Amino acid sequence: MTPQLISLIGAVVVVVTLALTRRVWAPAIVHAIPSVWRIAKITVAEARRRRVLQAVVVLVVLILFSMTFFSYLSPGEQSRMLINGGLSAITVFGILLAIFLAAFLIPQELETRTVYAILAKPVKRFEFVLGKYVGALIILAIIVAVMTAVLVLVLVLQDAMVKDLPDSTFNPNLEGVLFAALMNYFAIAVLTGLIMLISTVSSTTMTVISSFIIWAVGSLQSTIHDLAEHADTAATKLLLQVLYVVVPKLENFDFRNEVSNYLHVSYMSGWDALLQGLGYTIVVLILASIFFNDRQV
Amino acid sequence: MRHGKALLGLLMVGILLQTVAPQESIHKARPALFDPNRKTKPVSAISIGPTPAMIAALGGFRTVAADLLWLQAERVWDGGSWWALLPLLDAVTQLDPHFILAWQVYGWHAAYNMHAESETVIDRRYWLARGANILEQAVEANPDNWEIRFELGWTLYDRAHEKKRAAEYFYQADQMPGAKSYVTRLYYRCYEGILDIKDLMPALEYAKKRHTDLAKSDDVQHQVIVNRDYEWWMKHKDDPLEHRRQIVIENTARAQRSVPFYLYPDDPYWDVCPICGLPSKKGSEVCEVCGAPLKAPSQRGPATRGEKKT
Repeated sequence: MTPQLISLIGAVVVVVTLALTRRVWAPAIVHAIPSVWRIAKITVAEARRRRVLQAVVVLVVLILFSMTFFSYLSPGEQSRMLINGGLSAITVFGILLAIFLAAFLIPQELETRTVYAILAKPVKRFEFVLGKYVGALIILAIIVAVMTAVLVLVLVLQDAMVKDLPDSTFNPNLEGVLFAALMNYFAIAVLTGLIMLISTVSSTTMTVISSFIIWAVGSLQSTIHDLAEHADTAATKLLLQVLYVVVPKLENFDFRNEVSNYLHVSYMSGWDALLQGLGYTIVVLILASIFFNDRQV
Repeated sequence: MRHGKALLGLLMVGILLQTVAPQESIHKARPALFDPNRKTKPVSAISIGPTPAMIAALGGFRTVAADLLWLQAERVWDGGSWWALLPLLDAVTQLDPHFILAWQVYGWHAAYNMHAESETVIDRRYWLARGANILEQAVEANPDNWEIRFELGWTLYDRAHEKKRAAEYFYQADQMPGAKSYVTRLYYRCYEGILDIKDLMPALEYAKKRHTDLAKSDDVQHQVIVNRDYEWWMKHKDDPLEHRRQIVIENTARAQRSVPFYLYPDDPYWDVCPICGLPSKKGSEVCEVCGAPLKAPSQRGPATRGEKKT
């Protein structure tokens, strides 16, 4: 069976299921939008009060500016180091913030018992989960945007400083940097969804630990794919294939290598990664809603 | 409620099935990530790097690890530890096979610096072959990059004196977008040194047709040089003295690099001594310079290179 046929079957299943249940989900969505938006706004307001988020952003800005100290390198090396290091800093700190933000969102509400006040109102549990997720996405979008803007500023400033040097090969590759940063944000969004799912069924500590493991495994998906292809035993192959399917494919969103080495960037791959990540995120959010619904609160 | 969960399950299965085709298309579009036959080997050499590089590599930040090791390689280079540089550059290129500068430095370091440091002919030949081999790996990892093909061509041309192989790589590099005009000129220069007039003249004709935009100063310079060379070779391609000059230049350079002499089996004017590499008039019994016996043309085998015996 070809991948296209499998996807077509999937599309048929989705369309048929949605058509059969349209009387349930259509009014539910209309009702959900204002509630989700209100909860998202509260989540953003709460996050703004957290000094740690602001401190991390300041730290990243300092790191990005300090990368201009590589002035002893040739201009070509400098641009590679700045792009690669800058995008990596955005990835690392973006994902760290996502982990520490998403892992605490629902458990904290349960711990401080504020969730009772919210759920006592006409707010459904899936709306609460979705609202928290949208709030986290807004905060992370602001943070990633600030860090990307600083990286672009550093690249433009460095370019202005070295462009008059003879045979300067400094290439800020701004289009590629912006694309890679955007894809980076989508990776963070997918991971945030999964963290929220885990946080509905386990303790905060377990959520944080498992998030780090998922991040590491998700960043090595191509290696896991290769290992599964060349596995010696059927059991190992099965285990690796399960790992490959279950863990989000964060590597799909990683374009740092192409951008920093000025290779051809397949924008179509970005679109495919987005579709793939969107499907995965919808599934984990449905599961998170089911688990949170079944939870005794 | 049970029906609701079953339908949600069905919906999730449908959504997950839909993601199969996009993932497959990512596999095809990004072979550097997902090609099971990719040439990069597992990075065992990472263990020689600093701890931050190791952590970065394990966390899916291979290119960052490559950058950290590259910075360390710069420090090692400044410290003059040339041997220590080799495993570092090996790790950098395995971690990031698209890091062109690292490949260039790695190949150059082996074929030039390590070659120059070597004290025996065997060692020198080893480092020349190693340098070329490194750059061949680089070409395999970066098939669309003209710079790395040029680098391999240059190492074969300037260091190993494998002019015909060098010409192939210069030609391939010249066909790629972004290649500079000097690549075109080096393509025909490969045939000059070995007096391959049969291939030299078409190569010169080819070079004349390249880089013809006279609004660009680089192209103007290219045309001036190529036309000058073309006229020179039209005038001197059958000149025995020019042949002699080329033989002396080529074999002197080969002697300096510990590369076997080229014996110019098809040259109509000169026999080349396999001992000193210098030309004597065609049909001479012994070398006019060192007195070593020269084989008669009829006894000479196919085009082979002699060995320098010192």
